[in-house]
Parts: sequence; structure tokens; C-alpha cells
Amino acid sequence: MRMGITELAVKLRKREISAVELAKAYIDAIEELNPVLNAYVHLTFDTALEAAGQADQLLKEGDAPLLCGIPMALKDNICTDGLPTTCCSKILNGFKPYYDATVWGKLKKQGAVLLGKTNMDEFAMGSTSETSCYGAPRNPRNTNYVTGGSSGGSAAAVCANLAVYSLGSDTGGSIRQPASFCGVVGLKPTYGAVSRYGLIAYGSSLDQIGPLTNSVKDAAIVFDAIKGVDNRDQTSVDFDYGSSLAEYLDRDIKGIRIGVAEEFFDGINPEIKSKIEEAIKLFERNGAVIENIRIPALKLALPVYYIIACAEASSNLGRYDGIRYGYRTPSYTSIDDMIVKTRSEGFGDEVKRRIMLGTYVLSSGYYDAYYKKACLIREEINREFDAVFEKCDVLVAPTAPSTAFPLNCRRTSPVEMYLSDICTVPVNIAGVPAISVPCGMDSNGLPIGMQIIGRRFGEATILQAAHFYEQNAGEVVSAYEGGARI
Amino acid sequence: MAISKTEIEKLAKLAKLSFSDEELERFTAEFDEIIAFADTINQYIEGGTEQIRSVGARIVSFDDLRPDEVKPSLPSEKILSNVEGHNGFFRVERSKK
Repeated sequence: MRMGITELAVKLRKREISAVELAKAYIDAIEELNPVLNAYVHLTFDTALEAAGQADQLLKEGDAPLLCGIPMALKDNICTDGLPTTCCSKILNGFKPYYDATVWGKLKKQGAVLLGKTNMDEFAMGSTSETSCYGAPRNPRNTNYVTGGSSGGSAAAVCANLAVYSLGSDTGGSIRQPASFCGVVGLKPTYGAVSRYGLIAYGSSLDQIGPLTNSVKDAAIVFDAIKGVDNRDQTSVDFDYGSSLAEYLDRDIKGIRIGVAEEFFDGINPEIKSKIEEAIKLFERNGAVIENIRIPALKLALPVYYIIACAEASSNLGRYDGIRYGYRTPSYTSIDDMIVKTRSEGFGDEVKRRIMLGTYVLSSGYYDAYYKKACLIREEINREFDAVFEKCDVLVAPTAPSTAFPLNCRRTSPVEMYLSDICTVPVNIAGVPAISVPCGMDSNGLPIGMQIIGRRFGEATILQAAHFYEQNAGEVVSAYEGGARI
Repeated sequence: MAISKTEIEKLAKLAKLSFSDEELERFTAEFDEIIAFADTINQYIEGGTEQIRSVGARIVSFDDLRPDEVKPSLPSEKILSNVEGHNGFFRVERSKK
């Protein structure tokens, strides 16, 4: 039986295992499985063992925080002082940040043990993690399939028990979709709930950091630890969630109003649709009220997302010029030539495509037709979500229209790949929170994810509904055999 | 709307990217498909723009700003630690000869 954060914390406090022994168990598992799974791209075992030693000291003194001594992983776009952070891009080859992201600072303060940085799509641009310059991570459920993306390594590490939990980032589904593909839990918090300071920017009005875990309770614990206002991120919000989020989990779901929007089910694989419908029935049998609703503007969400995200990316990625860090082209004739060559050699194709689209929609003559219009439609989508959450407490939808794809199968058409984000991007556009929980397997034995979406700062309610489902649905996804032995 | 190779070259210049001839061919074809996808927002809007109200400029308040405190910046040694062969400054090619 796989242990969660609370169980491990008890074991550490009872001295049944030391933090160093626990870290070593995870290091052994990573050494055994990572050559196949490629979940981690930078290993930080020395600092992990050092942190574990300090955690043991803290635990001995008593009064250690809950996450003290728990081994974990960070996506490779979250800055770690003195440790590699490359966004899985050649252009950041060798980069070691000189400061910690706020989320990592908070976890480090709790005594977290960082095992390494996880694989991802280059600059978080992709849905399979195949655009990583280190090669794709593999889905632990079936290594011929992708992990999903962009936080694919984070999902694979948690699935294969190569980390107790990990952090990912979600701009258009990059936590929830890989969580769904690997059969783990992934939480995309409300925009502004978690500081983005030290998260390497992709689409700044959409990006949000969140946990990938093996249970909803662990997601609540990690979210509790990383949330909060930060004066280094002007978009972070000082929201009072009351007590710890984990305390809301066991509340009864009787009377909770669950919205089901048909737009989320258009073109969804029938096996996935039927699993979500079963889950909705389970909620209904237990006293939830099901409301069939419409969100017509959802059909616009995908092009709106790609226009806004790429516009922001083209601006954010303008900083990579080879001067201050990362890759610099070896031969050039002038400073302009150096910048153009560095960027052309350092960025991969998908990143270039998105920079080009972003440049196009912001350029003179096209700004009004694309970017401005996309911003207007975004407001409309927000209004429709607001109206829905006057009638409903949460929305239930699939996380992705399909289960994991085979590796290398969709390289031919970028747009076809973009369409796979249809269920997740509306959530980022509206800035609301959503969680993906496993809700079954398809006929190939690949996990299916259910998405529970809440109103802004409604994390307590989505965690409560997700926890209820997890506790009452039985074993919907088989446990992964392997990983750290404790 | 088809996009020409010349337009792609102009965009690449704005984005400080360059493409080989072969890449340019491939990129132009892909870009056509991507722009057609982005254009779907226009089709929908032409079918019913009236429900999309315009958003006025957001009102930004400057009443509640934090005091402007001087804080220490990161040490230059640390900032320069990611480049090889620096002499206390970032080194780039001379821009004026």
C-alpha cells in the first residue's frame, strides 16, 4: 500500500524510518527506473541527502512541519538557487538560477527534500512532453505511451513512486492532462492563489503552479503549503481560505450543486464519457444535485487560448538572447547576428512556432483582428463562467478528450495537437481552479481523468468533491507496482 | 488566409529568428494551418458579435502603492556566475566600430 504524506510524516516522527533512509529509498528507485522513464532531467541527490540530514535533526527536536523530510520533485521551470533549471530547452543549457522561486522557498523552509527537476515540454509548450530537449518521458503505465504534458515528468515521477509529490505548472492544462494520462491527482489552483515568482514565464496571465500527488488529501496538503500572497508577484492575491484545506475534505457532499455542460463532452472518446457519467451518477446517488447547463462561449476557448498564450510567450521569451545566461551560439559576426543565431539554434520548433504566432497576432494590422478580439472573447467566457457558478458549486467534465497517445504519433500536425487541450484551456482563461482525479481505465489499461472545476478561490469545494469521489468510487485505477520501497 | 513566405520572413525578423530555406517551406505551410485555426474566432464573431460587449480600459488605482524602499540587489558575482570568461561585465560583440 502506497503511503501518503500524513502516513509518512507519522512514520518519520515515530522514528520507524529516518528522513535519510526515506530519501535513499527514493534515490534507489530513481536510479533503477529513471533510465527507462526519463521523468527526471536533473538529479539533486547530494542536496537531497543533505536536506534529509537536516530534516532528521528538525524531527528530533520536535515541532517539525508536516512536509519535513518528505522527498519530492519540481518541474524544470521552477527556479532553484544554484541548481539547474532549464525549461528542458537548449537555450537555457547549464543555467543555474541565483534565487529560489517562492514556492520552493516555502517548501524548503518546511524541510522538503528535493530529489531533482522533472522533464517537461520545452518552455511548457506542448501536450505530450515530447518537445523536451532531453527526449520524452515515458508513461509508467505503459512505456510506449506519452505521459501527457507539459508537466509530464512530474506526473510520471509521482505515478511511479519516484517522488511522494511534485510541483508542476499549468498554462492550458499542463498539470491536469498529464495527471489524467498517468492516473494521478493534479490541482491547478485559482490564478493568483500561488505566487508565480521564480516560475519561468510562458503565458503570464494564465500560468499557475500546483501539485501533482497520489491522493486528493496530499494535493490539499501541498496546496496549503505553497499558496498565499507574495509581494514579488503582483498578481498574487491575499485570500483567506480559513483553516487548512485538508480539514474541508471530509465534509458531506449532500446538496452540492454539480453543473454538467454539454460543450465539455463534444467529441470526447465514448469510453471516457461513460466513466464521467458513472461518476456523476455516484455523486447524484449521494445527494448531489445535478444541473445541466450550457457554456456556449467554450467553443471559442481554444483559439482564444492559443492567441493569448502565444502573444504573451512571444513577449516573455524575448529575453533569451545568449548574453546573460544559457546557450550562446559559437560563431557570429555582430551582436544582432549573435542574438538571432542563438535563438534560432537554442529554441525548438514548437517554441519557434508559438513565438511566431504570438508575434503575428501582436503585429501592426493584426492586433485588433486577433489579440484584441481574443481578449474580448475571454471576457465573455469569464462572464459565462460567473453565471454558471451562480447556479452551481462545481462543474464536472473530462480532463482530456482521449487517454494517453502512443509516443511519436502526432508529430505531423501542430493544430491537431492543440485540439487535445479543449477541456482544460477554458479553466485557465477564466482563472478558476480545477482538479483532475483518476476515474477509470480505458480498454487499453490507460487511465482516464475527471476534472472538477470550481469558482475562483473555491479550492475547498473542488477538493472536497474530489476527495469524496476518491473515497467512494473504489479502485478505479490500478496501483502502480514499483518505485520506492519503504 | 494564406500567408506568404515574405510575410513569414518579416515575422521571423521581428521575432529575432532565422530559418533555412527548407525550414521556411515547412513553417509557411504549418503557419497557414495555425492561422486558419486562429481565424475561427473571427468566423464565430461574424456569426454573432452583438453578444460580445466591449471591455472598457481597466481602471488601475495608484492610491495604494507600497513605499519605495531601497533594498539590496543580488551580488554581481552571483549574477555573472552563468557566463564564462566575464571581466565583471557581460561581454558582447562591439556594436560600433
